[in-house]
Amino acid sequence: VTGGEVEGGIGWVVAVNLIVWTGLFLYLLRLRARVKDLENGNASPKLGALQENKR
Amino acid sequence: MKTALAWLLWLWIAVVILGAFLYAPLAKGFLGQSSRILFFHVPMAWTSFVAFIAAGISSARYLWGGRDPRHDRSARVAVELGMLFTILATVTGALWARIMWGAYWNWDPRQISICMAMLFYGAYLALRESVEDPDARARLAASYAVLGLVVAPFLYFVVPRITFSLHPDSVVNARGKVDVESHMLQVLLLGSLGFNVLYFWMHNIQCRLAALSERRDAAEEGS
Repeated sequence: VTGGEVEGGIGWVVAVNLIVWTGLFLYLLRLRARVKDLENGNASPKLGALQENKR
Repeated sequence: MKTALAWLLWLWIAVVILGAFLYAPLAKGFLGQSSRILFFHVPMAWTSFVAFIAAGISSARYLWGGRDPRHDRSARVAVELGMLFTILATVTGALWARIMWGAYWNWDPRQISICMAMLFYGAYLALRESVEDPDARARLAASYAVLGLVVAPFLYFVVPRITFSLHPDSVVNARGKVDVESHMLQVLLLGSLGFNVLYFWMHNIQCRLAALSERRDAAEEGS
């Protein structure tokens, strides 16, 4: 690790940071929507199947 | 959080990322581009502190506010998220230390104090796991987290200021002055605010998820 020039330019670092942040953000949005569904009693088909199997 | 506000948060942190790499100048006395790590390291450390204080406040509300399980749940989630942000702050700090000081870990007072904070709150989570009775668990954990209202400020703000450290001055330095270049300060403040909003959003989702999980467990026990 060095503190010198960033290989490939700073643009790549910015792009990777933005992609990681966007990925995390979309994951949180999706998680929030799922929680809302569950709170309203609408389990997703996948979760419903899991719950059926558990029973 | 409304969807429009969530997208505003996305934009806010995207601006912080652009600002950290393209707007803020490099700090004097730092090797190469290494000072850019600070735009993420400082907000993460600050957010972890906010999370631990939030855990203490929720715990106090649990103890003296009618023993509402929502407050206990809120404190637990706050500590878990606080630990996550503490780990991220430690990792980003270690990367910076490798560049500036030649080693990831240097036993600097700042590194030791954040390590102690992790141990303190790790013990909180261990305490929760070790008590089976839900009421006793909530009561003991809340008492411990209230103690954190004294421990966390001591570890984050007092220890690094009373000992010699290689760590750069805080945003508000030991003389009580803000000694940061204005563009860097803008990005740091935007970043800290953005990460704090992100923390509260994650906290809200996680609390709702924990409530659903508890409801499901109670229903399974009842059937």
